[in-house]
Amino acid sequence: MRAGTDDLLERLLAGARCDTAAGESAEAYERRGTSIEIVEDAEGSRLSVVTERGFALRLFRSGRTAFAASVPEAVDGLPDAARLLLGRSRTRRGVRAAGPVVGGGACTLAPPPAPDEKSARELLASFRSDLLAAGEGAVSLTEAILTTGARTERVATTAGRDVVFGSGTTTLVATVTGRTGAGSVSARFLASAARPGELPLARLAHHAVDRVLLPLRGRPLAPARGDLLLDPNVAAPVVGRLASAFFGDDGDALLASRTRDGRDAFAAPLFSLVDDAAVPGGPVKATHDGEGTPHARTVLVSRGIAAGRLSDAAAAVRLEQPPTGNAVRRAYTEPPAIGITNLFVDPSAGVPPLDLLRALARGFYAAVLLSRPEVDLPGDRFRLHAAGYWIEKGRATEAVSETLVEGRLSEFLRSISAVGDDLRFVPSGTGSAGAPTLFVPKWKGA
Amino acid sequence: MSDVVETFRQDAEDAVRIVSGLLRRGEGGEAFRERRRRVSWTATEAGLLAPAFAEERGTAVRLRRGRDSLLIARDGDGPEALREAVREASRRGGGSPFLKSRGLERARAETEVPRGDEQERAAQLGAALHRALPDPRGISLMLRVASVTVSRAVVTARELVTCGTVRRLEAAGLLRRAHTARPFAFQTSAPWAPALDALARALADAARPVPAHRAAEGPVDVVFSPGAASVFWHEAVGHPLEAGWGERGSVLTRVPRAAVAPPGVFVTADPTRGDLPGHYLADDEGTPARPVALLTDGCVDGLVTDRRAAGGASNGHARCGDFRRPPRPRLSNLVVSPGRASREELLEACGNGLYVREISAGHADPESGRFTLFVESADLVRRGALGAPLGPFVLTSDVLTALRHLHAESGDVTHPASGLGLCVKGGEGVAVGGASPAILIRGLTAVRGRS
Repeated sequence: MRAGTDDLLERLLAGARCDTAAGESAEAYERRGTSIEIVEDAEGSRLSVVTERGFALRLFRSGRTAFAASVPEAVDGLPDAARLLLGRSRTRRGVRAAGPVVGGGACTLAPPPAPDEKSARELLASFRSDLLAAGEGAVSLTEAILTTGARTERVATTAGRDVVFGSGTTTLVATVTGRTGAGSVSARFLASAARPGELPLARLAHHAVDRVLLPLRGRPLAPARGDLLLDPNVAAPVVGRLASAFFGDDGDALLASRTRDGRDAFAAPLFSLVDDAAVPGGPVKATHDGEGTPHARTVLVSRGIAAGRLSDAAAAVRLEQPPTGNAVRRAYTEPPAIGITNLFVDPSAGVPPLDLLRALARGFYAAVLLSRPEVDLPGDRFRLHAAGYWIEKGRATEAVSETLVEGRLSEFLRSISAVGDDLRFVPSGTGSAGAPTLFVPKWKGA
Repeated sequence: MSDVVETFRQDAEDAVRIVSGLLRRGEGGEAFRERRRRVSWTATEAGLLAPAFAEERGTAVRLRRGRDSLLIARDGDGPEALREAVREASRRGGGSPFLKSRGLERARAETEVPRGDEQERAAQLGAALHRALPDPRGISLMLRVASVTVSRAVVTARELVTCGTVRRLEAAGLLRRAHTARPFAFQTSAPWAPALDALARALADAARPVPAHRAAEGPVDVVFSPGAASVFWHEAVGHPLEAGWGERGSVLTRVPRAAVAPPGVFVTADPTRGDLPGHYLADDEGTPARPVALLTDGCVDGLVTDRRAAGGASNGHARCGDFRRPPRPRLSNLVVSPGRASREELLEACGNGLYVREISAGHADPESGRFTLFVESADLVRRGALGAPLGPFVLTSDVLTALRHLHAESGDVTHPASGLGLCVKGGEGVAVGGASPAILIRGLTAVRGRS
């Protein structure tokens, strides 16, 4: 046996004792992960180093499924646990272990590489320095948490799938405080990337400074009719909230109601929505999903028309389409569920954002969100609490400390008349959401 | 799980020796063991889907040296996991741990398989959901319902301290009707049968059609139900009185001993209340749990602390979401003393305003004192009587103004809050609870919320 490998996964799959003649199948899953977390605040520095290994088993029988998970020392009890729960679950079409995939056949799972503490600390120091420089004495970093790690995963099924894959992730959570003569405000924000070096620190620092200083330096703006320009940091969280309409066949009714059973467009003709785990700049970089299915580039909205769905293996059977590789496992202790990887508005029809700003005759440029956006898909409403600038003839005339942008979601999506070429991502749900600058002329609620 | 804590004790003597051997002069630290068992179901309007069982076991070794700390965490909660974590902590911390074992080795641990009555429990849960939604036509439900049991112990340089075993039923998800969707969150520490009854009642309430009426925007006087008041106290008083807000502190720690609320208001962080979800015997650093007065007779009194903030004077509020994260000062159960007013008397005192039944979420900025409460269910109050039910909206204000405008008299009974579930701070959730009487606050600002 090689160092770091053993036959626990094989034992787990064999222990399931599937009666294939009775339509039973099983999927065994193993995850190894290692991560470090560095917390720096006013009281010092904390370093956490986490090394973990976990196993999970899913049993399938006649459309039923049950899940059980544990650490290696207790893996032998998982088949009994799953079998006990199996009898009580309801049936659903398409629920069964997935078959072989191209590139499968791998057999051992090596531990992931250890994260580099030194470069993580340098990254935090660099962010602090960028933030203080951008804040010009009015901003301080109250707390910064940098987490970076890697994991390796293996999925094997009784239907012949056996695939090994790996991925990495880095997350920065910063609490920033701004102080001026008008008062003080603190805010927490989150950024993620596949690797530490891919975090856009300078851009994050400027965004954090805007987030805490704009509410102190500007004046509130009553909602008024005008052009609307949404910065990618404002637009991307809204895009992320659209995702659930495209989750397998569960979102069918919702999507049908939003498009009158396909008779209406979902959005404007230059709006295309894509999920892609390999898009350049996307924080999620992975080759396979939590069921071992290779990720695909999936177009969900093509030129304004709803065109695709995200699926796991079971939903793909019900939709009668190939699986898109969107079964996401948040942790080894949770069964996979449909989720996004990098969900973004395609910027290929985009123009430089400065051109969009120049085109803005009279209206509001939303630079930062002040709270989580409210996006109600069933109710077809949205509401953004934002700060930014009032723009006239392409020039900022006044800082806006807060205003509300709200209205019908479908009308907003169909009114987008231009997009920028400045695609940026923010963490969202199980992955990330991305958008370029969005331009909506003559919006009645801004 | 009842004997998990006893399992933790099996190698207590060895574990204490290992931890004490790790620590050098000037260092503090401890080891932490956790076992978490979760049996969950996806509840839909058509029944229960996808049952899942998960058991996590973890060990962490934590060292504190001056203002810095190191945590090494790994899977497994047995002697070998502890030794490996100590070796790694020693390697990174530059020490030479004492790892000699006296030969006591725990038997290879098995998964505690769900009991045979798990099927019966699933049937009972299904029946409770049916009671909540006897006619689910027009409703789409997607809830994750889980029975969670967490056992924890802390190994200090002197002893193994049991934090206790906490059980709770939790549910979270989304409830949709034709043109509306609302979040639903619930948790209780009650035993299984009463817990299911409480879940059914909460779900039935949540499934009522969302009223078309909206709260008018602007200043408004608000009577909070006991459950909703618990969320207010948690956000407005609890969070600002957690240690660790840096040199400037929070809006409340900057005014120690100041009278910020009317006399007669007593707010206590009380992890010893066994009937509430934030209960524990010892905190996650091994300090015995004890009640801490946050507001005494309306005055800022104490704050919840851990060893990093208060050293040996920690008042037992170091908490971590799980073994992977270092503990930090966090809330437990927030208990507010009752007054003498009935609900009708509070409504009468309110005159024209709002009666808030349920708050689904909230957040506060301890720096500026601004807080936001997301109201899910409320009624108009007209001339001291309940009026039309209202759709969701948002309430905002700042902590000091809201406490200053708190009506001197509060409700005569306290109720545990069922909607106060996981408190998430820095992405890390811990179970919290609350018990409060109904309260009246004047001059909050209502903002239209989700339609």
